[in-house]
Amino acid sequence: MARGNTRSFGLGAAAALVYFFLYAPIAVLMIFSFNRSRLSARWLGFTTEWYGALWRNEQIFQSLLNSLIVALAVTLVCVIAGTLAALVSARARLRGRVWLDGLVYLPLVIPEIVIAVAMVVFFSLVHLDLSIWTIIIAHITFCLSYVIIVVGARLGGMDRSLQEAALDLGANEWTAFRRVTLPLAAPGILSAARLVFTTSFDDYLITSFVSGVSSTTLPLEIYSQLKRGITPEINAISSAILLATVPLVFIAQRLERGALKVRGALAGVAAVFLLMALPLVARTWPTERNRPQLNLYMWSTYVSPRVERGFEREFHCKVNYDLYDSNEALLAKLQGGNVDYDLVVPTDYMVEILIQQRLLAPLDKSRLPNAWANLDPRFRDLACDPRNDYAVPYAWGTTGLAYRSDLVKENVTSWDVMFDRRYAGHILLLDDAREVFGMALKKLGYSLNSTNPEEIRRARDLLLEQKPLVKGYNSSNFEQDLVAGDAWIAQAFNGNLTFAMRDEPRIRYVIPKEGCTISVDLISIPRNAPHKDLAHQFINYFHRPEVAGAFVNDSGFNSPNRFVARGVEPWILAQPAIFPDPASLAKCEFMHDLGPAVALYDRYWTEIKAR
Amino acid sequence: MLAANFGGAHPPSQVDGGASCSRFSNRMEQVLQFFRNRPTLRTTALLSSSLVWLVGFFLVPLLYLLAVSFAARSPYGTIEWDLGLRNYLRAFQPLYLETYWRSLWMALLTTALCIVLGYPVAYLIARRVSRRWKSALLLLVVIPFWTSFLVRTYAWMVILRTEGVVNNLLLSLHLTHEPLRLLYTPLAVFIGLVYGELPFMILPLYTVLEKMDPSLLEAAQDLGATQVSTFLRVTQPLSAPGVVAGAVLVFIPSVGAFITPDLLGGARTMMVGNLIQNQFALVRDQPFGSAVAFLLTFVVIAVLLGTLRNAQRATREVF
Repeated sequence: MARGNTRSFGLGAAAALVYFFLYAPIAVLMIFSFNRSRLSARWLGFTTEWYGALWRNEQIFQSLLNSLIVALAVTLVCVIAGTLAALVSARARLRGRVWLDGLVYLPLVIPEIVIAVAMVVFFSLVHLDLSIWTIIIAHITFCLSYVIIVVGARLGGMDRSLQEAALDLGANEWTAFRRVTLPLAAPGILSAARLVFTTSFDDYLITSFVSGVSSTTLPLEIYSQLKRGITPEINAISSAILLATVPLVFIAQRLERGALKVRGALAGVAAVFLLMALPLVARTWPTERNRPQLNLYMWSTYVSPRVERGFEREFHCKVNYDLYDSNEALLAKLQGGNVDYDLVVPTDYMVEILIQQRLLAPLDKSRLPNAWANLDPRFRDLACDPRNDYAVPYAWGTTGLAYRSDLVKENVTSWDVMFDRRYAGHILLLDDAREVFGMALKKLGYSLNSTNPEEIRRARDLLLEQKPLVKGYNSSNFEQDLVAGDAWIAQAFNGNLTFAMRDEPRIRYVIPKEGCTISVDLISIPRNAPHKDLAHQFINYFHRPEVAGAFVNDSGFNSPNRFVARGVEPWILAQPAIFPDPASLAKCEFMHDLGPAVALYDRYWTEIKAR
Repeated sequence: MLAANFGGAHPPSQVDGGASCSRFSNRMEQVLQFFRNRPTLRTTALLSSSLVWLVGFFLVPLLYLLAVSFAARSPYGTIEWDLGLRNYLRAFQPLYLETYWRSLWMALLTTALCIVLGYPVAYLIARRVSRRWKSALLLLVVIPFWTSFLVRTYAWMVILRTEGVVNNLLLSLHLTHEPLRLLYTPLAVFIGLVYGELPFMILPLYTVLEKMDPSLLEAAQDLGATQVSTFLRVTQPLSAPGVVAGAVLVFIPSVGAFITPDLLGGARTMMVGNLIQNQFALVRDQPFGSAVAFLLTFVVIAVLLGTLRNAQRATREVF
């Protein structure tokens, strides 16, 4: 049987390779959770500091708690409702079976993204506020079918004579159900429950569409952390969760094979959960629940623990924040009309849109003395909100050109390098229609606020021509691509580069001679904000020079507070990318809302991306 | 509290009743007796919770989305109820056809690759190893699911970067002189998709291979069939339902994938999932996004209809 052995060996080797493929990324993430470097790409030595940082990170624990609540609620509802339905669907003969099966299988057949968008337009239609409840509803919708199918299959394959025998032996129906049907269905129910729990716990796509105020789940938190580039903590929590769940999977599997008594297994599951819950409760308990809450919705790059914790301490409240990565995501959430944030931080042109759409509340200017006293005059009365009736500048920056001076060996002063064939495959653009078109329009010598269809079309043609040179589109963590050498040249928000340039001094930033965008993000209060008082207090607090300084130190973005330099660490002050000389700023242009022309930009943008 | 909730998810099937439960048992017995003589009512009662849910929170939203797909978009991204076919006409422009085509072949290739990689593993687990190894190996297929999908995808970014694990390895072994471009390529998207969906192929395949009657294989060998022809004529046809089920489970998420092309493809390799997501989250053209979403749904259902009967049976067998 030598031949059989070789074949077995071949089979074993192939399987081993597949297992290696399955576990390589997991090994990498575990190893890198001990990496000293913040940017996971390089190994800089062993450390356990990320596990410490994880322990101190309240936001992650809160999101973990949200995820557990959602997954447990979803599992409970799905298992009960699904098992009841499965008792019917398992029966061989049933009128309307085709329709029932169709309805049950449809959620599994339809791509997840379609369910996500259907849910989000529906919730907006019926004015259901986006919250942890909408997440639970959406998850139940796509998980219920799993239970009906899995438990139905188990019951369908069951020998009905067993149940009849029990009845013949004098058991009443309830006893027969409890003692015969249920134990036989139990493995199916368990594996369905496991499937539902994992699916719900790990869902990003649907959750990202239907989440609302402080209902950030772990996958959402992980996504925004990935986008911010603070990854070792995420590696740490993934490793921790993996280690905590291995015994759970183990117990569930033994139970399904009937190797364990249900009672013993439940005790085991309970023990593991308690073990997981203890640190969770310890971390989330001390925050007093009845303190007033302030709900922020802001850029993922603007998180500043010193600002938020300081405000909490001084004003005896709790600051919750959810994060977005594009102005359009913010607009989409506010336009739905079913989410209540107290403060948002849109960019200038988006402020125009939000005002025009009546989505912002007017400010009570008398309550913001710090803002008026400390705001740099350059950023007062901007075109987007001429009398600062609705919004106060929060942070500002430029969108210029970043490059690796060791890889691009020329003196870069112009957008031209973005169109240079020598750098094909190393050019990164922002994943942002207005910014990318802005670059093309500037290179062609037009205004980046052009509404002339001919100019916009020329910009599109230029970008289509450039597309083969482009490596990718990235608005959020392009600086990691620069540090790792994946990109040599990138269109960049200057603030994202602050920490990257510290880690990799060969990254340079220029404001191209053709000009580029200067943008201001303004803090404003949505019309239906529930805590407008506290929101005003936050804006006023934020414009104290020392608080603005703390913001710059944490986020790397510049502040429009004219006394900010007092509170900023010297090495950031010395960065010309963040604190540029006024002359180079003269070439920069603010973006404006373009009204109906936006539709043209959006359409061309889809064309460029789809090519 | 958490533990109690989780426990509630499982039926207390083998927990003994006892006296305290007898009143509850009597009550339940009365309820069951009541329904026993009214079968239609019983069916309705059992189905009602799921039916109401699926109709109210799934079918109705879906129909509303269908209506939106015929509407128009205002300059600011709100929906205008000026019904027409414009979104569907636009969706059939060659530009977008290219995107659908790309999604389709990427999903098909992913499915094929999953079959090729998953079959040996499923075969090994089902037919070549002892019972103890079997459960251990199956467990190892499931465990990756317990880490966040996003983090696993990110781990691939670390592996595939220009200064990543693969390139560092290749360079230090002097297999290449220049780092390979791996990240932000269609290849990276493939790796991510196959990685994410592979277990969905292995598990159904394992289930059918496990149930296969070994005497059939022996019979084939007794009749003089070679190992290859035994595989082609016996094993392969018998495992077909598993392949179909796995293919369905892999194909659907791959064709609508959105995160993998975004993170590993650098948002450069646009698939139909990204097209839809961009319409809703970035350019706010909800009607057009809805139209594309429905086209995708129709295509998926059309692809499945041919295999649906098989798929259905196979899915049942799998679990």
